[in-house]
Amino acid sequence: MTRAAWPAAAVVLALVPLGLSRYVTTTLTEILIYAIFAMSLDLLVGYTGLVSLGHAAFFGIAAYTVGLLSAHGATALALTLPAGVAAGAAAALLVGVFALRAAGVYFLMLTLAFAQMAFAVAHQWAGVTGGTNGLAGIARPAVPGLDLGPPVPFYYLVFILFVAAAWLLRRIAASPFGAALVGIRENEARMRAMGFDTFRLKLGAFVIAGAAAGLSGVLFAYYNGFVSPDVLYWTSSGQVLIMVLLGGAGTLAGPALGAGVVLVLQNLASSYTARWTLILGAAFILVVLAAPRGLVGLLTGRWARSS
Amino acid sequence: MAPARKAGGWSGTARRITRRQFLGAAALGGAALAAGVRLSGGMRAGRFGVPAALAAGPVKIGLLVSYSKVYGQLGEDITDGMILYFDSVKWRGGGRQITWIREDEEIDPQVGVRKARKLIEADRVDLLAGIVATPTAYAIRDMVHNSKTILIVSNAGGNLLTRARKSPYIFRVSFTSWQVSYPFGKWFYSNIAREAALTAANYGFGTESLAAFKESFIPAGGKVVGEVLPPLNNTDYAPYITQVQKLNPEAIYNFYSGSDAVRFVAQAAQYGLMKSTRVTGAGFMVEQDVLPAEGANALGITNPLHWALTLQNPENRAFTRAYRDRFKRDASVFAMQGFDTARVIVEGLNRTNGDTSDKDRLSEALAGVKFASPRGAFEFDPNTHNVIQTVYVRQVRQVGKDIANVVFDNLGRITDPGK
Amino acid sequence: MTFYVLQALNGLAYSMLLFLLAAGLSLIFGLMDVVNLAHGGFYMLGAYLGLSFVRWTGSFWVAVVLVPPLVAAGGFLLEWEFLRPLYRRTHLDQILLTFGFAFVISDVVRWLWGAEVQSLAAPPGLDRSIPMLGTLFPAYRLFVIALGGALALGLWLGLSRTRLGAIVRAGVANKEMTQAMGINIAAVFTGVFAFGTGLAGLAGVIAAPIQGVFPGVDFETLIVTLIVVVVGGLGTLTGSFWGSLLIGEAETFGKTLLPEAALVVIYLVMAAVLLVRPRGLFGGRTR
Repeated sequence: MTRAAWPAAAVVLALVPLGLSRYVTTTLTEILIYAIFAMSLDLLVGYTGLVSLGHAAFFGIAAYTVGLLSAHGATALALTLPAGVAAGAAAALLVGVFALRAAGVYFLMLTLAFAQMAFAVAHQWAGVTGGTNGLAGIARPAVPGLDLGPPVPFYYLVFILFVAAAWLLRRIAASPFGAALVGIRENEARMRAMGFDTFRLKLGAFVIAGAAAGLSGVLFAYYNGFVSPDVLYWTSSGQVLIMVLLGGAGTLAGPALGAGVVLVLQNLASSYTARWTLILGAAFILVVLAAPRGLVGLLTGRWARSS
Repeated sequence: MAPARKAGGWSGTARRITRRQFLGAAALGGAALAAGVRLSGGMRAGRFGVPAALAAGPVKIGLLVSYSKVYGQLGEDITDGMILYFDSVKWRGGGRQITWIREDEEIDPQVGVRKARKLIEADRVDLLAGIVATPTAYAIRDMVHNSKTILIVSNAGGNLLTRARKSPYIFRVSFTSWQVSYPFGKWFYSNIAREAALTAANYGFGTESLAAFKESFIPAGGKVVGEVLPPLNNTDYAPYITQVQKLNPEAIYNFYSGSDAVRFVAQAAQYGLMKSTRVTGAGFMVEQDVLPAEGANALGITNPLHWALTLQNPENRAFTRAYRDRFKRDASVFAMQGFDTARVIVEGLNRTNGDTSDKDRLSEALAGVKFASPRGAFEFDPNTHNVIQTVYVRQVRQVGKDIANVVFDNLGRITDPGK
Repeated sequence: MTFYVLQALNGLAYSMLLFLLAAGLSLIFGLMDVVNLAHGGFYMLGAYLGLSFVRWTGSFWVAVVLVPPLVAAGGFLLEWEFLRPLYRRTHLDQILLTFGFAFVISDVVRWLWGAEVQSLAAPPGLDRSIPMLGTLFPAYRLFVIALGGALALGLWLGLSRTRLGAIVRAGVANKEMTQAMGINIAAVFTGVFAFGTGLAGLAGVIAAPIQGVFPGVDFETLIVTLIVVVVGGLGTLTGSFWGSLLIGEAETFGKTLLPEAALVVIYLVMAAVLLVRPRGLFGGRTR
């Protein structure tokens, strides 16, 4: 079933703007952006077993890169896109070199610490980053011959990049590198005993994840037209972690689906009740206790996680 | 390795929930939500909507304020102020029924943008109102301007919205941070002290307020002996208070709001700062949303603001009494701003006879709205669409059994410079 | 000079509050390998319950006595009913579960008590300020310092001198062995979890007169507590104590000496400690 799912989803997503309303198109654009973000984290959490609470750092740093470039007149997508991705990757390299020396809770806390430091810089360095007010007025990127201002063309840009990112990440997951990552998740000591340089492998995964998060960060900045320190705050990292876990870690499709579900649920629920935090928390608890493979697990019939 | 345990508890229950039951429940939930989405054309009854008017073509207002997190009370106050006014005109303006859809901006600009987009694109509101937090206002500014949606800002006070980022479609009923603090600098020099230490929460609202204070304080001859800037949402002010005491200033001017204000005032009292120095601050530090929690600790704080609960004019007396009777609590400046927001909307609608389709015409009509507000005379600056209003000097005093801000001086009509 | 002494005292009061929180969390992790992300929520619950008790009974001390057991009961419930089935599963699942509970507690508190900022006055007798070192210092903070010190001593004695303490220490060192020796390790788990949660509730009541009572205090506090626990070393009371001192003083002095970096000082300290001692100051268990 999963083999056909991806192409089928791609076809449906490609047709959306042609039939459905502007609002659905823009909402789906945001969902696809977060889907890339969530899939990037899945590489760490689901495949390598590295639970990071600071993934928003790479997302946010890329978004700010775009904001700053835009403020200085650099609007060509051919420049800003690679710049943002590179920023995400570079930040991930820096963080990874330090944080990956630790494991478990210590690793979690270090990733959190670095993300909070990035938040503090964005928050305090008001002269450059706009402080709490952030950077607004980010115009859509310039691509020769195209106007990316209206929602439909921009949607297709995001859609194409989503498909590319999903394809790339799947290839990586299916490669020997991906298998090694899973091996590290299962039993790192054994992998090391077998001669793998687990530190290098983990760092590689970390940088790839950072680059992919950077890609989604670039698109996010263009989508909203502004960026503020909130994207770097730990709750932003928490939210993408939630998307991965609710959707089903280790499947790539799960986090993408999770992104959609969480965003839609958050939007809908908070329009009807002030208690949507309670609903989200309860949904979590339910998923953990009754559906540990997340939504993908439910849909593909793999009910309980094999220990 | 797990401890031996008895069966039962959740894991037992989980095994009893079959996959089919779970999916069934999820499907039902999904269907319910989908049904809700179909209904979300503004025709919902209940907490977030008023039942659609029976008359043709009601005016749909999108109200976006914070109902959750620390500024939840401000959102409630603004909403209640609006309800009070709309009730008084039976929810009619320009010959049409008024309805609204309320959303929570959650003090997160990302959420604010999402909700604003929903209100504008999906719900197709005729105008947008509210916005508690300045970053959210800045974030939605382009979307509002480009879609020619009229936005009436009920709170957010960032200066830029009236200056570099103003728009003919954006009206501000509340204040700019400059408006509140600028006129006080000069007054402070003449009435409090010639030297001051400044402290503020280190974010846009705080730093803008201090800059505005200095803009009139220093040219008048005032000297700033030091600035202490705790971060926003700081819990322990002790290190900063100790720093201020080291400066030994004759008087201080502060900016804090919300929980920061409550903590700062309490801790400043505990460390004797209230006694050793004349304490002043922008009115938000001791406004009604935080004054009850501050209590006697706040006594004596002199503060500027564009309204006070005790302001003596006929409109304010009527407003505060009606608010108290209806909502069983005292009005705040935020409630007053909500009240005026509603009035501006109704007056604007009256002037266009209910026409909301021509946004430029509606914008012109709104710009000309003038009336007597609980805060005094209300009008818009035609250049910036920001309110022109009187700023008062108040002091926290014991009034009978209560503690309240008493107005004792007046800083005149203040117009934001617009650049 | 007096300036620095005053700041040190400020930091000490803050450290003692952190210690109350960190001790519980650290022991829970050390013994059960559970990262209880709802710890901040229980802290907040303690603060709000304290507020209500003071309103109903008019006495701060009644609240101090009654609230911790109530909060501990909440912890007991969480562990017994929900967490237990997950010990077989990965840490990821535990994190998610406690995270979910953190959200639930957060919203329930807001629902029941409202969103405004509230404050709790220090009890009469302690609400004065004592003239010292040329300024006034709040008596209540001195009380917090004394209470923290007393609790630290009590906990240390309890762990090192009593049989129960020995059992807990044994469990932290080697669960399997302890169980093999006939101790009902499950009961110890539940007990420690409830006790740690009760400590968090106590911290909530004690901190309320200083910090105020408002939504959002749960996650703010959780982050700092996690930092303290990691810096001190997971699973050791000594680590929690010294970690609290380090972080408390670092935060206080950081605010005065490095105001621009105030938000990050504790993160920098944590990163620095972990670079030199990857398991925290006193953490040393191989796992």
